[in-house]
Amino acid sequence: MKIWNGIAIAAAALPLLFSGAYADDSAKLKTLVVAVPSDPVSLEPGTNKAEPIGSEIILNVFDTLVAWTAPDFKVLEGRLAKSWTVSSDGKVFDFTLREGVKFQDGTAFDAAAVKFSLERTKATNPYVKATFDLIKEITVVSPTELKITLSGSYPAFLSILAQPQAGIVSPAAVAKYGDKFAAHPVGTGPFAFKSAQADTNVVLEANPDYFRGAPKLSQIIYRVIPDASTRRLELEGGGVDIVQQQGQLSAIAAEDIEALKANKDVKVLESSSQIIRQLEFNNSKTDGPFANVKAREAITHAIDYDGLLKGVFGGTAERVYGPLPSNNWAFNPKMKDLAPKYDPALAKKLLAEAGVNPSSLNLKLYSFQGPLWGAVATFVQANLADIGINATIEQTEFPALRTLQTSGQFDVALDGRQPWYNDPDAHITIGYLSSLANTAMTFRMPADKQLDDLILKAQQTPDLEARKQLYFTIQEEIAKRVPGAYLFSPKLIVFTRSNVEGLVVNSAPPLNEYWSVYKK
Amino acid sequence: MASFIIRRLIALIPVMFIVLVIVFSLVRIIPGDPATTLLGPGATQQQIDALRAQLNLNEPVVLQFYHYVVGLFMGDFGYSLKTGQPVAAEILARLPATIELSVLAMIAAIIVGIPIGVLSATRPNSFFDHVTRVVSLLGVSMPAFLLALVLQLVFANYLGWLPVSGRFSPYMPVETMTGFAILDGLLTHNFQGALGAVQHLILPTAVLAAFLAATLGRFVRNTMLDVMGEDFIRTAKAKGLRRHDIVLNHGLRNSLLPAVTIIGLKFAEMLGGAILTETIFAWPGIGRYMFEAIKNRDYPVIQGTTLVFALLFVLTSILVDVLYSVLDPRVRRKMG
Repeated sequence: MKIWNGIAIAAAALPLLFSGAYADDSAKLKTLVVAVPSDPVSLEPGTNKAEPIGSEIILNVFDTLVAWTAPDFKVLEGRLAKSWTVSSDGKVFDFTLREGVKFQDGTAFDAAAVKFSLERTKATNPYVKATFDLIKEITVVSPTELKITLSGSYPAFLSILAQPQAGIVSPAAVAKYGDKFAAHPVGTGPFAFKSAQADTNVVLEANPDYFRGAPKLSQIIYRVIPDASTRRLELEGGGVDIVQQQGQLSAIAAEDIEALKANKDVKVLESSSQIIRQLEFNNSKTDGPFANVKAREAITHAIDYDGLLKGVFGGTAERVYGPLPSNNWAFNPKMKDLAPKYDPALAKKLLAEAGVNPSSLNLKLYSFQGPLWGAVATFVQANLADIGINATIEQTEFPALRTLQTSGQFDVALDGRQPWYNDPDAHITIGYLSSLANTAMTFRMPADKQLDDLILKAQQTPDLEARKQLYFTIQEEIAKRVPGAYLFSPKLIVFTRSNVEGLVVNSAPPLNEYWSVYKK
Repeated sequence: MASFIIRRLIALIPVMFIVLVIVFSLVRIIPGDPATTLLGPGATQQQIDALRAQLNLNEPVVLQFYHYVVGLFMGDFGYSLKTGQPVAAEILARLPATIELSVLAMIAAIIVGIPIGVLSATRPNSFFDHVTRVVSLLGVSMPAFLLALVLQLVFANYLGWLPVSGRFSPYMPVETMTGFAILDGLLTHNFQGALGAVQHLILPTAVLAAFLAATLGRFVRNTMLDVMGEDFIRTAKAKGLRRHDIVLNHGLRNSLLPAVTIIGLKFAEMLGGAILTETIFAWPGIGRYMFEAIKNRDYPVIQGTTLVFALLFVLTSILVDVLYSVLDPRVRRKMG
């Protein structure tokens, strides 16, 4: 009988377990809980490799010299820099810095700290080698004046300075923690790093002395929740305040978005991204079915772009008209008319003109893994079948796909680009410059002096308006060569609890600053 | 007995070495290198090459192996390619979460599974037997993610009794001392935090225990039925022993022997991390850690976690053998 007594007592005590062990509501209102799928890789500029979670935390803990102005992110504004000038040859940048700014450890911010930080990143961070190696010299003119000299003209350099790798670190903290700085990051940002537990959370605390004013929140908790359906349940139940679409290759199923839109406790913030997804041809190939431009053109007319946006994405993606997304500052509006339209009859006609017999083709359509890529590939496959082309889908694990792609063992593949800094250079140079064809997942453009010269000139022209015109021409020139079919640009989607206010979603790259966020 | 254990422990060394050789070569055979995976599709060859150099991936594999083994003897498991943190410390940080979950699930499964098996076996084909057989069939065949989702929906989102996931409430964090959340809550006098940790444990424990309890229940029922048909049970009955003496002391004790093997192996498996359960419940355990490492081609982490699993597996099987000798006097004599 004793056992039964014990069980009875335990059963009577059970409700205690279910009673709330939670903090009071005022503390909850001051705390923002953000769900992320995994731990950040690195929490400091010196080792950041543009991995999204760590990058976002860095931009909330550290400040950069300049940043993109919300809400459309087309113009740079000063952050730790009050103002700046660029020399006419585009090589020398003179910055006037903000005065009276303090790091979170109480030490003062000055030009020497900027020099220290940028030189540190240059020395330790291989990810930004190509751009940071352009820095010839950084001179501290006075505590509030700094001169950066580049070895060549590179106007996108300012955009690089807005990146997390260019965050300004506290030299005193680096001296104090040495190798362990990533575990104790100290910057000037609106939130200071407090603690991190492996695979559990990262906690940031408000910096009351922040130079733009203390943030409205008192803390941010990043909760690591790897499973997408758990993240959704947590959001619906109020266990987290914000869930973002994270990761370069993942997206949320359209059904999930619909369900969350119908939930009155949840807000769905959608904004255009600079991500482009395309079907690309192996443009280096001189033989094969797509060596003839007419055959490539045929494929671009075979795809039902609007059907794809509606059917697969339910309105959560937008049309892409050419090599640049329409929200890029250098987007050429003419591209909207130049972009191919869905016309299967024309597609068949063009194939015939190119001398390609569609039934003789047996295409392998390579793609990334995941249900979303699978759905896109299936849609494209059906479109190709409509003009008589038989394609088999090969969804391949990323590293293996990269090897196939960079070694040119394909005819058509689904691919895409998520620029890691906000500049047309991030799409155009890497994607279409022929000398870079084998070095990354690119369009594998063949040597083409006219286009190559244009790309390099646009990359190096200091004058913004002249640059823009060059990129206008480049977009038209690339469109003429039909290197691929631009399929769609997924929107950035952030889900928040309905009481979260003041969040501005950054379009490129998708990193949110929480300084202005508060809970009602 | 002592010499038996020592012999088994010595045999552990070649086993671990073979495991190490296999995993070391296997991770390098699977396509995709860590630098490429870490940097993502946008990276250029230049960026990848620079990272490869920084991570010492250009060294010949044999040399990498040699350095790794030498390091192991000094307790150095290497550094994670992804985070740059020492692997041994990262494993130790996650082990308590896994142990907490698996020990509790084990206890729950034993408390539920064995009595059900015994009761079913003593009343075969009764209503109770039929119900438990259907339920345990469900328990064995229902995928963990489905059960987890149902429990999360019902107990967390619909009833609001329990949290959806995590190890403690984000608003009521428990400071890490030992790594065991409940214990840490109590040690730091954070009783609300400890209570929160208990609440967070219930659903993942239930999911993990369900499969094991069902397996155990079915297994104990079947072996009990066999044992209860043996001659010595009839003799015991003829001697006029009380029914529950026969069931518990003669029937159960003899059926437990094979059950111990199952419990041991399943327990070792759980210590190796319940990847699905840990992932769904955002439980910061070792299974999830290894899974992420495989996705990222984080060689030192895959090697380190595999070694730890292998060690736990072998140690558990030694423990099972020792338990055998406690339960079965014949085995005890053989071990000498």
